[in-house]
Amino acid sequence: MSRSRKLLLYLILFIISLTTIFPFLWMLSSSFKTMGEIFSLTPKFIPSKLFKPGMWENYRMILQEYNFIRFILNSFMVAGFAALGQLFTCSLGGFAFARMDFRGKEIIFALMLATMMMPIQVTIIPEYFIMLKLDWYNTFLPLIIPSILIGSFGTFLFRSTFENMPSSMEEAAFIDGVNDWQMYYKVFLPNAKPALASLFIIAFMNNWNALLRPVIYIDKPSLYTITMGLAMFRGNYGTQWHLLLAGSVISILPLLLIYITMQKYFVRGMLTSGTKG
Amino acid sequence: MQYRKFTPWLFLIPTLLGLILFRLGPMLAAGLASFTRWSVFSPPEWIGLGNYIELFNSDVFLLILRNTIIFSLLFVPGVMAVALLLAVLVNNRLKGMTFFRGLFYLPVITSVVSIGVIWSWILSPRFGLLYQLVSKFFNVVRLPSFLGDARYALLTLIVVYIWKMAGYFMILFLAGLQNIPEIYYEAATIDGASIWQKFRHITLPLLSPTTFFILIMSLITSLKTFELTYIMTQGGPNYASSTLIFSIYVNAFKHFRMGYASAMSYILFIMVGVVTYLNFKFKDRWVNYSE
Repeated sequence: MSRSRKLLLYLILFIISLTTIFPFLWMLSSSFKTMGEIFSLTPKFIPSKLFKPGMWENYRMILQEYNFIRFILNSFMVAGFAALGQLFTCSLGGFAFARMDFRGKEIIFALMLATMMMPIQVTIIPEYFIMLKLDWYNTFLPLIIPSILIGSFGTFLFRSTFENMPSSMEEAAFIDGVNDWQMYYKVFLPNAKPALASLFIIAFMNNWNALLRPVIYIDKPSLYTITMGLAMFRGNYGTQWHLLLAGSVISILPLLLIYITMQKYFVRGMLTSGTKG
Repeated sequence: MQYRKFTPWLFLIPTLLGLILFRLGPMLAAGLASFTRWSVFSPPEWIGLGNYIELFNSDVFLLILRNTIIFSLLFVPGVMAVALLLAVLVNNRLKGMTFFRGLFYLPVITSVVSIGVIWSWILSPRFGLLYQLVSKFFNVVRLPSFLGDARYALLTLIVVYIWKMAGYFMILFLAGLQNIPEIYYEAATIDGASIWQKFRHITLPLLSPTTFFILIMSLITSLKTFELTYIMTQGGPNYASSTLIFSIYVNAFKHFRMGYASAMSYILFIMVGVVTYLNFKFKDRWVNYSE
């Protein structure tokens, strides 16, 4: 590639990067502004309180006065349990699909794949009544349990992971006399660490970002997830942008950290969720 | 040496439970509920096709259907074009490409709710950044309200959602691009083909399986867009940005018209079902590999 062409390419990439990153930077900068600066008619990029006393005031307000610290903990709990649960159910189911023969296997698998694309909105009304019957309204259970049990993507991921492992491993273990559970837990699962990491991240992210189920199953503020807390704050105090943007930064931060440290697994998981329907 | 006969069924208990309790069962139940008049407070009452007749005689519903179709028709080509451009750009083997890929992917991992908050702030009338910049540099006094004006609300949602999702489809396109053997490009270079000719006659045809897959995925994504509408416009002003998926939520959980909402959810079910079916049916035909 010629020098000038390279330069042009970098220029284009730089401009696109700016449109991607600038909204985030603008949010970050605005989250440190005072109400007065937010509603000033000459936009400033550098907030006046930056690196000065009172810089964290918006964050203190939103975390303490508006209880976002609680919402964050709730989200960690919901997304954490849902993701851990999915690791178990999906790897177990995927293992059965990959290594065992039984009647109706392909039909069950096809049904799972066929319903994978269906939005939850299609099934949410009957699901809502199931949750009411179980008396799970205003608990975390409706946010966690369905997500654990419908891990179509994860089951798919683990099926292909386990199918690609050599049968010699299985045969040797059978000769050693392991039982079926040990075969899954002691022989195959330890070899599926990349898949476990990918699925954990994807499941954690999806549950962290979910909005519909929290909105319909939770109305006690002490049980809000961070996403829901943010949506509610926007609905109730929509013009307090300085606080809303601080809350938004807080809600992004955990996923951003995971993304930066584990980018490899993130992208790999996204690819598998994509490349096969 | 083999597994015991009942082991697969034991291992599949959670999967089967989920499939029956939260997927197949509710799909069936929603279908039945769509033929009833049903609020949360009274038991369902069978009214046959009543809900469907009401839907297709309602101007609001026809508007919602129209919005849903416009959303898909603009979102799908838009996001595919942007994603393909990004993928082609970052597919160059130059320093820093991993960094750019990571950067373009950033909006994908960010929750839709935060994205909605950021853009609502940037687009908010008078004090929003966009208004201030435009009025400063172009001396335009009155800009339309992008989210508050019925003419622009839906379009604004579409553009913001393309901004958010382009990185995801970029990664998928990138995987497809990297499967194209380098040797074709080398041969074309020897024959003196221009960049555009290479893109048109090598990249596009060999990418078609990926393109088809992304078409399906982005179509489904467009039908599923709920959170952005919720946070940015609540379907307004006056239903101007309401789509099918958002109206299901409103009718079921704001108006408590469960039967009516179920009928809407069944129309969505059929739309997604058709797309899924097309995917299964045409998946193999689009394959264009030379090997």
